[in-house]
Amino acid sequence: MTIKEKGYAHWDGEFLDKKLPWWPITRYGIKLTFRKKFFKLFFPMSLLPAVVFLAGIYVSERLEDFKFLFRDSVPILQIDPAYFKTYLTEGFLLFIMVIAVIFCGSGLISDDLKHNSLQLYFSRPLKKRDYFLGKTAVIVFFLFLLTLVPGLVFFIMKMIFAGSFKFFLSYPWLPLSVIAYSVLVTAFFSFYALFISSLNKNRRYVAILIFGIYVGSDILREIFYDIFHNHYFSLLSIRGNIQQVGAAIFDQKTPYPIHWILSLLVLTAICVLAWFVLKKKVRGVEIVK
Amino acid sequence: MNPVIETQHLSKWYGNVLGLSDVTLEIEPGITGILGPNGAGKSTFLKLITGQIKPNIGTCSIKGKKIWNNFSLFSLIGFCPEQDAFFDELTGWQFVTGLLRLHHYSPSEAETKARKALEIVELVEDKDRVIKSYSRGMRQRLKFAQAIAHDPEIIVLDEPLNGLDPLGRRKIIRLIKSYKGEGRTIMVSSHVLPEIEAMTKRIILIHQGKIFAQGDIHYIRDLIETHPHIISIKCSDPRLLASNFIQEDFILNVKFSSAENTLLVETNNRDKFFSLIPALSVKKNIEVEEITSPDDNLQAVFDYLVGK
Repeated sequence: MTIKEKGYAHWDGEFLDKKLPWWPITRYGIKLTFRKKFFKLFFPMSLLPAVVFLAGIYVSERLEDFKFLFRDSVPILQIDPAYFKTYLTEGFLLFIMVIAVIFCGSGLISDDLKHNSLQLYFSRPLKKRDYFLGKTAVIVFFLFLLTLVPGLVFFIMKMIFAGSFKFFLSYPWLPLSVIAYSVLVTAFFSFYALFISSLNKNRRYVAILIFGIYVGSDILREIFYDIFHNHYFSLLSIRGNIQQVGAAIFDQKTPYPIHWILSLLVLTAICVLAWFVLKKKVRGVEIVK
Repeated sequence: MNPVIETQHLSKWYGNVLGLSDVTLEIEPGITGILGPNGAGKSTFLKLITGQIKPNIGTCSIKGKKIWNNFSLFSLIGFCPEQDAFFDELTGWQFVTGLLRLHHYSPSEAETKARKALEIVELVEDKDRVIKSYSRGMRQRLKFAQAIAHDPEIIVLDEPLNGLDPLGRRKIIRLIKSYKGEGRTIMVSSHVLPEIEAMTKRIILIHQGKIFAQGDIHYIRDLIETHPHIISIKCSDPRLLASNFIQEDFILNVKFSSAENTLLVETNNRDKFFSLIPALSVKKNIEVEEITSPDDNLQAVFDYLVGK
C-alpha cells in the first residue's frame, strides 16, 4: 500500500505511568454530583451538624459568657473524645452520610453499565484498579467532608479557642482516632455503595437499595432483639456495627455489650463480599447468553 | 510490510458459548474490513485485539508486544465500540476531553486534541450540547471522534455505520477513508458487505467464531457471482417472462411466487440475467414493476460457503 502522507507521529519513547490516572474519573464524578439539583440543597444542610458542634466547642471555651443558656447542662459541653464520638458516630450523621452516598455513589457504576461505557474506560491505558480508585475517590471526597475534615477542624479549633495545647497533650491520640474512624466508615460506605451500584443499571433502584438495606438492617436488628433479647443481633445492623467500632476507636463504652471486634469483622466481611462482586461485575465485555 | 497486529490461535469462550476459535492471522497497515453476520465473533475479536478481554487460548500482539495487560500499548489504539457508550449528561466536548484525560494528557493538551477531533467529525458547533440531545448520526461521529482524538496508530471501529442514514454513512465512510493514506492500521467491522466494500478491498470473513476467509474482497464477490442467486421479479406477465427465461442456460430454476404476479428465478450468472431483463421487457412488452434479491446478503454467502 502506498503511504501518501504519514499523518501521525509515532512515539517510540518510554511510557511513563501517570501518578493519578484515576483523577479524571473522580473529577467528573464530583462535578456531576454537584450538578444535581437536590444535592445543591442537601449539601449545605449536611454540614449544619458540624457547624453546631463547632459552635459547641466555641461555647465550651466561653462558658462564663453563655452560662445563662445552660445552667444545669454544662457537662454536655465537655470537649473530650466522647464529644468527637458523639458527632462522628451518632445516627444523624450516619443518616446524612447514607443520603450523601445515594447522591454521589448510586450512579457511579450503574450508569457505566447502563451506558456501556466500561469499554470506553478499558480500551484506554486505565487499569481496573484505577477505575475503582476513581469511583471510590468520589465517595471518599464527600464522606471526608462530613467526617475527617470536621473531626480535624474540631480538634484544631478547640486548641485555637483555648489558646493552648493542653487539649492535644491530654488526648494526643485523638486525631489518629478521627482519621482511623473516618477512613473506616468511608471505606465501608464506598464498598457498600459501589457494590450496590454494580448490581443494577438503574440508579434509582440502586438508591432505593442503598437506603433500604441500611434502614432495613436496623429494623431487622430491632425485630430480632425484641423477640430474643439477644444483643448479638446488633451485628445485623449496619449502623449498630459502625457505632460499636466507632466507640472502640474513641475509647468509649460500646453501645451494645458485645465485643466490637465482631462488628469490625462483619463490616470487613461486607467489604470483602463487595470487592468480589465488583470484580465480577466490572469487566470490559458484555456477557453473551 | 511488517504486520502491526498478529494473533496466534486466539480463542475465547463465554462459559459454554464460543466467542472466537483458533484465529491466527496478521494484519498490516491500511484498512481491513471484518465481515461476518451478527453474532459471528467480530466484536469479540476486536475486544481481544484491543486488550479489553483476555483470551482463553492463544495470544494477540500489537507491534510485536502482547496486548493483554500491556497498558502502554493502549495509547496506540483508538476504539469505537458498537453500542452507544456515552455519559448522556455530559456535553460532546466534556465527553471527548474527559476520555483524553484518561490517556494522560494535560487539560490544555486534551482540549487541543478534542477540538481537532471534533473538527474532523464536524461537531465543533455542537460541542457544548449535551449528548442526549444528539441525533444518531452525531452520536456515531462523536464515538468516532473519541477514537481518533489521541491520534492513535491503530483505529478499531466496531460497526461504525450501524443505524445511520445514507448521508451519515457517507460522512463516516469518507472519514474512515481519509485515514487510509496515512499509514495507520484501521479495522472496521460490519455485517453488511457493501459497507465494507466502500472502504476497503482487504477483508477478513468471520463466521461462528472462526476465520472463514481472508484476502481480497473480489474473492468474496466472485463467490457471490458464482453461487446460484434467487431473484424475485414482479411484472405484468410473469408466465410469459418465465417461458423466455427457461430457454437460457444460466437460468437454473423458475418458480411462481405466492405473491401476486411475482416470479422467483434462480441463476448462476447475475450479470447476464440483469442484462437480459431490459431486452425481454421491451421485446415482449412486459412491464417490470420490481426486482429484488432476497438472498443477496452476507448470510446467504456464508450459508453457501458452509454448504447449507
